Amino acid sequence: MKNSIKVERAKKDLTQADLAKLAKVSRQTINAMELGKYVPSTVLALRLAQIFKVEVSAIFTLEELDWE
Amino acid sequence: MKISYLFPNKFKNIGWFIFIPSALIGCITLVFEYEPSALDFNVFAIFIEELLGDTYFSGFVKNNILNEIFGILTILSSILVAFSKEKLEDEYISKIRLESLVWAVYLNYAILLVGFLFIFDLAFLWVMIFNMFTILLFFIIRFNWQISKLQKAIRYEE
Repeated sequence: MKNSIKVERAKKDLTQADLAKLAKVSRQTINAMELGKYVPSTVLALRLAQIFKVEVSAIFTLEELDWE
Repeated sequence: MKISYLFPNKFKNIGWFIFIPSALIGCITLVFEYEPSALDFNVFAIFIEELLGDTYFSGFVKNNILNEIFGILTILSSILVAFSKEKLEDEYISKIRLESLVWAVYLNYAILLVGFLFIFDLAFLWVMIFNMFTILLFFIIRFNWQISKLQKAIRYEE
C-alpha cells in the first residue's frame, strides 16, 4: 500500500514529531508508515485523515501487490 | 489504544534493576553449585521422587533454596522488563512486540531441538534449566534491539 503522509505533512508544514503528537502515536510509527514499512490500523488511518482534513483514500492507495 | 495485558511503563526500569543482578548472581551460583548451608530448609513439595526410591505426592524434602530465590527473581523481573509498556505503546510497537515474541519462541525451541538431538542424560538438564529463562531473554533482546533500530532511523532522519 502506498501513502502520501509525507506529502500531506509537508502541505501542513508538520514535522514527524508534530504529526506523531497529533495522531497520538510514536515518531517511529510515523516514520515507518512514511517508509512503507508499516500499514496502519483503520483507526490510525482515520485519525490521520481527520488531522489532514482529507478522505482516507486521498492518503492511502492500494497497489497490485495488496491483492495477492 | 487500550492494552490491558501489559504492565505500566515504570515497571520496566524496576524490572531491569532486579533482573540484571539476579540473573548474574543466579547464573554464577548455579554454575559453581554454591549452596550455603544457611539456606538449607525442609520445604513442602507437591511431587517427590526419591533417588532410587518411591514416588509420591505431597510431603517435605530437604532443599537449598538459593536457586529458588534467584530463579523466581529472574523470572518475575524478566517478565516486568519484557511486558511493561513502552513510553508510548502504540499499534506499531505492539506489532514489533508480537513479532519478537514469535521469534523468541522459534529460537528457544530451535535450541531445545538441537539439545534433544545432541545432548543427553544429565548434561541435558543444563539445556532445560537455561531453556526456562531464555525464551524471555531472547524476547527482551530482540524487542529492544528492534526498538533501538527504529530510534536510530529517526535520528538519521533529523
